[in-house]
Amino acid sequence: MRLELGTFPVRALSFGDATRYRDGHLEVDREATLAEVRRDSRIVEAALEIARPGESVRIWPVRDVIEPRIKVEGPGVCYPGVCGRDIATVGTGRTHRLAGMGVVEVSSVNWHDSGGDFVETYLDMSGPYAQMYPYAALQNLCVVVEPDRALNDEARNDAVHTAALAVNDHVAAATLGLTPPEVQEWTLRPVDPALPKVVYIWGVHSPQAMSGSMTAFCTATYGLTRLTPPWLLHPNEILDGALSGPYRTAFAMSWTVANNPLFLDLYRRHGRDWNFLGVIVLRTEWTTQHEKLLTANQTAKLAQMLGAQGAVVTWDAGGNEFIEVVRTIQACERLGIKTVFLTSEDDATEGAPTMLEPLPEADAIVSTSFFKNRTLGVPDPGPVDRVIGLPDKMVNADQRSNTGGGRDKKVPTRGSLPAPWRYDDHYGFGTLSCIE
Amino acid sequence: MISAIYALALTTGANRVVRGARIEHVCGDPNLGPEKDYAYGMRIVTSALAALTTPVAGPTLFDPLAVAEKADKGSGHAS
Repeated sequence: MRLELGTFPVRALSFGDATRYRDGHLEVDREATLAEVRRDSRIVEAALEIARPGESVRIWPVRDVIEPRIKVEGPGVCYPGVCGRDIATVGTGRTHRLAGMGVVEVSSVNWHDSGGDFVETYLDMSGPYAQMYPYAALQNLCVVVEPDRALNDEARNDAVHTAALAVNDHVAAATLGLTPPEVQEWTLRPVDPALPKVVYIWGVHSPQAMSGSMTAFCTATYGLTRLTPPWLLHPNEILDGALSGPYRTAFAMSWTVANNPLFLDLYRRHGRDWNFLGVIVLRTEWTTQHEKLLTANQTAKLAQMLGAQGAVVTWDAGGNEFIEVVRTIQACERLGIKTVFLTSEDDATEGAPTMLEPLPEADAIVSTSFFKNRTLGVPDPGPVDRVIGLPDKMVNADQRSNTGGGRDKKVPTRGSLPAPWRYDDHYGFGTLSCIE
Repeated sequence: MISAIYALALTTGANRVVRGARIEHVCGDPNLGPEKDYAYGMRIVTSALAALTTPVAGPTLFDPLAVAEKADKGSGHAS
């Protein structure tokens, strides 16, 4: 499987009379783009806004950030399967990406109404909180949409994400016929057999148990989010967006998945420092001890059958999903596969462990810090000049005890807001250092 | 403690751990229908009460299904 990935850096983004890319400047024809969005009759309100790095702008609610990618040659489409898109296996041929920009999906639509999973992410393009996320450094094209309220949760989620993908397709198509300033060829070429064989076990949350639905929207493998056995993906499939879509944390977005520095480094150093075998996507949030242990055992078995000597493990959630993730580490270690775990940590309060189930086999851990902003002492973001999205936000009365969706009072989005309650850097984007 | 993720409860030091159904419905199973859901819930709660009166030396797992089967044999009527 061989993929040429052409990169078009976007250093400036503006509206213009045509959608075109030239010398790092992407111009977007606002009306033509919105016409693509409005082709879906489920969308009743649609607007496009631009947010640039350093501006006093707040975007709320942010459901997803997508890096525009488009298939130029080869089977399938980028971001396959999701919202009914083609499910042909991707990862071969040529793909173009618009780097340094994001399509930001903005809507009031929640993932589902069964509790626990809230759309809680807002993005500031400047100020202290902006430094904590990679998105504030991007040129952001915000798709602000509301679907027909009469539709059910899943249809509304589908409509909103379809709208964002329509914008992805429209702007990425501006690169068709152009020569990319930078092209990289990606392939798992045969390497020195003496190099250690390493697999990436990539845990992604399934909303199935929480929502009670097989088709609830979340980070998807070819559009599927249900609880399924582990998936073996070629790294090129990841580059084409076979794993995409958001979850409730600000780091679980399509953009972050596509630009996961851990994954990209594993792939870049294939043949030099190790033999990268591929990605095992581990679906998490099974709901019995048996299911959690079964999925852990099967994931480790799959890694063993691939010949893995080492595994790097990440996850994208913060609750009971930890069990199948840490049990996968245990199962790998018991099969002789050395593991390294990249994770954020819970509060170190009252002597409790900072991880739900600390196991002796998980003895090589890279921490990306405590996930609760209360612990980190992140200051409340102050007022901003402009809001993209909803003018109000629900917050909790005790702003420091936020445990997810605010519910006590409504405050203006442009004023001072409580710091988002959690900061889970799942893939090691962060550049913040420890308080010493 | 009644827990669907009973191994975690045992490792965190709970002395009496009763095996629950699932995370989303620990004390029963709505898929069984109202009557059997109630009976299953009663088994879990009854075995939790029995666990409270059972001396243990350390973290111990109580399985409501195993306990209920034994009780059924003894009393001679089906649940």
